[in-house]
This record gives sequence, C-alpha cells and structure tokens, in this order.
Amino acid sequence: MDTLEKLKILSDAAKYDASCSSSGSSRENTNNGIGNGSMAGICHTWGADGRCISLLKILLSNCCIYDCKYCINRCTNTVKRATFTPKEVADLTINFYKRNYIEGLFLSSAVIKSPDHTMEMLIQSVTILRKEYNFNGYIHCKTIPGCSKELIDKLGNLVDRMSVNIELPSSDSLKLLAPQKEKTGILEPMSYISNNIQSKKMDKSKFKTDFVPAGQTTQLIVGATPESDLKILNLSENLYKKLSLKRVYYSAYVSVNQDTNLPTLEKPPLLRENRLYQADWLLRFYGFEANELLNETHPNFNTLLDPKCDWALRNLDKFPIEINTASYFTLLRIPGIGVISAKKIITARRNFNLDFSMLKKLGVVLKRAQFFITCKGKYYDKVYKMNPSFIETNLLSQERLSLPKPQFKQLSLFDNLLPTKEDKIKCLTGNL
Amino acid sequence: MSNWKLINKTFLYDGTFDGLLTIVFDCYSTKTLPQNIKNEQNYNTNFLDDNIFITSNYEKSERVFKGIEKNICYDALYNSYYAFLSNVKNIELDILKYLCDGFDIGPKINTMLTTSYVYNVISTKKRVYGECHRFKGLLRFIDIGNNLFYSSIHPDNNIIELLGHHFINRLPSQNFIIHDKNRNIGFLYNGKNYKIEKLPKFVLPELSDDEKLYQELWRSFFKSVTINERTNRRCQMQFMPKKYWDDLIENP
Repeated sequence: MDTLEKLKILSDAAKYDASCSSSGSSRENTNNGIGNGSMAGICHTWGADGRCISLLKILLSNCCIYDCKYCINRCTNTVKRATFTPKEVADLTINFYKRNYIEGLFLSSAVIKSPDHTMEMLIQSVTILRKEYNFNGYIHCKTIPGCSKELIDKLGNLVDRMSVNIELPSSDSLKLLAPQKEKTGILEPMSYISNNIQSKKMDKSKFKTDFVPAGQTTQLIVGATPESDLKILNLSENLYKKLSLKRVYYSAYVSVNQDTNLPTLEKPPLLRENRLYQADWLLRFYGFEANELLNETHPNFNTLLDPKCDWALRNLDKFPIEINTASYFTLLRIPGIGVISAKKIITARRNFNLDFSMLKKLGVVLKRAQFFITCKGKYYDKVYKMNPSFIETNLLSQERLSLPKPQFKQLSLFDNLLPTKEDKIKCLTGNL
Repeated sequence: MSNWKLINKTFLYDGTFDGLLTIVFDCYSTKTLPQNIKNEQNYNTNFLDDNIFITSNYEKSERVFKGIEKNICYDALYNSYYAFLSNVKNIELDILKYLCDGFDIGPKINTMLTTSYVYNVISTKKRVYGECHRFKGLLRFIDIGNNLFYSSIHPDNNIIELLGHHFINRLPSQNFIIHDKNRNIGFLYNGKNYKIEKLPKFVLPELSDDEKLYQELWRSFFKSVTINERTNRRCQMQFMPKKYWDDLIENP
C-alpha cells in the first residue's frame, strides 16, 4: 500500500477527533532546526465543514482490538485497515511543514495489540521527529487509556499537548457503548498528567524541558447517549477546576455505525454542540458557573437563545447595567459584550463617559446589548420596557438563519415588537 | 493640537516610513497641519491641490523614531508602523495627528479610543496584524529545487516584511521567496540575510516529482479530513474568503 492510500484511510479515520488547536506552546527553534511554536496558534486552512485544519491529523494505525460501539474503527467493522511506520509519519510531517501546509502533528492511534505497545509506537514516531529531524513545531499526541505511567512521562517530555478522550460522559454509557474501557482507566492518566504538569511548573528552573507545555484536553461525544446538557456541563466544569484542563471539546455524534444501543440520527446535533461550546466559553472566560446557566428545572439549553441571553432573561433583576461604572466581570455578564469589547470599554471610559454611538464603534453588539444597559443613566432610545416577554420577542425577531422556528404561542397586547425598517417606511408613505 | 495652524496644502512623501516621520518632524516643529498627506508613487496630480514634496531626512526621522519610544510608548511605534503598512486611504494624516497628539499627551493616547484618528490608527493596525496572522497559515511554499521555496500571495496590505520574519524564525535553514503579486515585490531570504525588492518577470521551473507527490498528498488529506455530514460552506467562507483561494494548493 502506498503513502497516498494510507494517508487517505488514516486521516479519514482520525477526522472525528474535534481537537484542532495549535495554541499554548511557544517552543523555540533550536540549533537551526525546523519549526517553532506559536502561542496564539495558527490555522492553515478550513475544510468544507467549516472546521479549521491546522495540524496533520492522522492515526498511526486503525487496526483496533477494542469494540466501542460508536467508533468507526471498532474491530467488528469492515473498513480498510492500514498502519503507518513511525518513519513515514515523520517524513510526511516534515515535508508538509516545510511547505507551510500545517502547523504540526496531531497523532492518535487505535489500540494495536495492547495500550503499552501502541504508546511505544507513538513515542517512537515523535522521537524521530524531535531528535532526528530536529523538529520544534507543535505536536499533539493522544494518550492511550490504560497505558503505563513511565510511557506517559516519556511522551510528555516530547510533545506540546496531550489528551485522553473521555468520549462518553457517564460510566453507565461507557458500560453500554464501550464495554472494554473503564472510567478509572481514562481518569487516572488524566489526573496523572495534570499532577505532573503542576509539579513541573513549580520547579521550572530545575527542569529544562517542559512537560506538556500546552496542557491537556479531552473530548466528549454529544448525542450518542441520553445525558442532559446539565450533566455534560457539570462534568466539564469539574474537569476545568480539578484537573485544570486547557479545553474540553464537544463532538456532535455522527451515525457511523448501526447498533441497537445507538440512536439513529439523521443529522449530527450541531445546534446542541454549538450551545455547549457557547456555555463552555462562559465557564472559562466570563466567570459563569454551570449551575447558573442550567439547573434541575432547565436541564437543557434553550434552542432559540444563546446561553448568556437565556441567563440574562431569567435574571432580569440584575439589569440594566450602567456601562460607565460597572466592573469588568459585571460587563462580561451583558449579552452582546464579550471579552474584547469589555476590555475596550474599560480602557476607553478612563477618558470620557461613553454613550451608545461610541459603544457601537467599540464593537459592542448593540442589537443584543441594548436591552440590558444604560449609558450615562439613559436607556437606549428604542427600549422602553424592561420585561422578559418584550425583550425575548425582540431578541427572537432578529435575523436567525440556522435556528429552528419558534413555536407558536398566545399573543399578548403588551409584548409588542420594536418597529422594523419596513414599518417605518409604511409610516412615512402613509400606509400605517 | 487644537490651536495648530491648518494649511491648505498636500504634502507628498516618497512612500517610506522615514519620509512620513520627516513630515511628522516638520509639522510638529512648525505647529502646522497639512490638508492631506500622499504617497508620491501612487499620486495622480490634481489641479486643485497645492503640493509640497517633503524629502526624507534621515536625521529628522531618527529623532522622531527615538522620540516616539521615549515620550509616547513602544506601542505607539508599533501602532503607527503597522498602520503605515496598510492600504487604507489617507491613513498617513491620521498617523500624523496620532503621533503629534501623542507627543503632547504621552502614553495615555492609546486609551483615547473615542477620538476618531486614534481609533482609526489602532483599528488599522489590528487589521494589518490580522491579515498578517491569516497569511501565516494560508501561505503555501512550493519547492522549486536547490532548497529554494517559492510562494505567491495577494495581500491587501503590505505585509511581506512581517511575514518574512515569521518564516525566518520558523525555517531558518530554508531559502525562500515570498512574492507579493499585488505590489510585485518579493521578500528574498538566503539562509543568512534577507532583502525586499521589486521582482523581475520570471517563469517558475517545472515541478519535481517529489513536489507533485506532496501536493497530491496534501489535496487528498484535505478532502478526507472533512466530515461530509457536517458540510457548511458558509462557515468555511467566513473564515477563509474566496479571495485567498487562488493561491492555495488544496482547491477548497
């Protein structure tokens, strides 16, 4: 089998891994070698599915001994099988990197023979890259659940980022769909890596080589099992707090296998995945907590409104917020204001009191923010009511191409819409 | 700057940063503001304009250059240089006002985002920086033999200098040419030194088998790594507008 054929099979098999980032490591170019890390990460191209491609994402092999029901590479599936040699992986990476096609390597693998054997193969490929080719670019490597700790140590000293995929968000689902994997087998290496990162960070001066400088990540599959959004979000929050993960990726389940235990979905639940990512950002950068966004009575996200708008509507007593005096974290709670615009507001208001036209210039999304803020004590001129139904109707009336249509409900005289442009033209021409 | 004298003249400069800083020096020392500042190289003579050509003076520009770092802040230098590299019309006048105001106010100038010229300079810098960052990923090298790699791009702003330094840090032992086809200038690097100059017309040599193989591998990787069930062309084009597609190898 030639390299082209192998690459096709093994990149096709790796594509369900959502992780794509190349950020977090500023590894320097040493000894006139090849490559360096970029702290912010660089995307090199975007596929037809809109996902960025920054790393050469391949499996070392797809000959798996496991039989996880959701996975395309399960041993009972009849797909073409292939295995790269470590040398082939290294050559491919170097030649793509030299032509600036990729930012580095994302190497994962199915479990060949045993977890330890697979890990040794991964380590061999990465060692060739780092030692023989003097490659200093980004490398993200999967850890195989159930491998020994010495191998994790060895791999961790070579790569920039490591990850162990949890895939299924509860131990019941794991038993049902991945009977050969165990919860402890997944969480143990994760906590081992995170402890190692923490301890090496403290005595950085003693150790010259950094252990996994870009941290570790994981992935959860959304929609293959019946867990609610609340359960998934709670799990992510714990992972961020206790294991200090860099990212949790969510992957909408794509029906690749037929099995009685699996749901048959026509389309992957992309909207649900999107809502989870939005909430994930709120956890990491906006100071929100999972139980603020969702609770037992609302275990799933609103499909029509984003999590922040939804939260704001349930907590209208905290609004309106005065732009010129509110603190950074209060500003972040306003729908339509993000990290960048909040920082700009803080900088700009040192010199002048801000008004609405200036806010628009600074990049605040006024179509959402207008309902929740005051500037110099004044409301936005079109906003004349502060009740949930008025705000909700107006938020929903804005352009939403990809969202499902809202369900019909009883109209009320009092939740009137703001006049649209067409309405105003009708007034001008005497139609209304 | 409010009591400065406005003169009804257009200043012309030679298109270099030194030239622009010379204008800043002259304006600041005489407390005058011109009506406009134009690059002489792409300036069409106008019957109504009253032009003055300002010759670049290295001593003056050096003094302004050092003065910016000392009296305003390093960020101001960064902002004005990046804005200078942009293709935004009349940004030179905004840079002049930004710097002159900066000399009076100090580093606080960067927080005055509600002043239009400060905002223009800073947002233009962001645009140039953003485009440069995008091209760090979207640029594709072609191996044309003898360890020489060639790439052609069509950027809006004049970013090849910034891009070149990124690739020198990244691939220090690789000789490369980055060709800006919109301006027909090239960034040439030979493993030790670099220079930027106008490129003569030339034809690329035929690609070697190795190069063809890796291009083919890349195209097939690009195709197979996409999940067909999730096809979303709109999203793809938002991140990577079609104007970039011509120079890519993978034909998205």
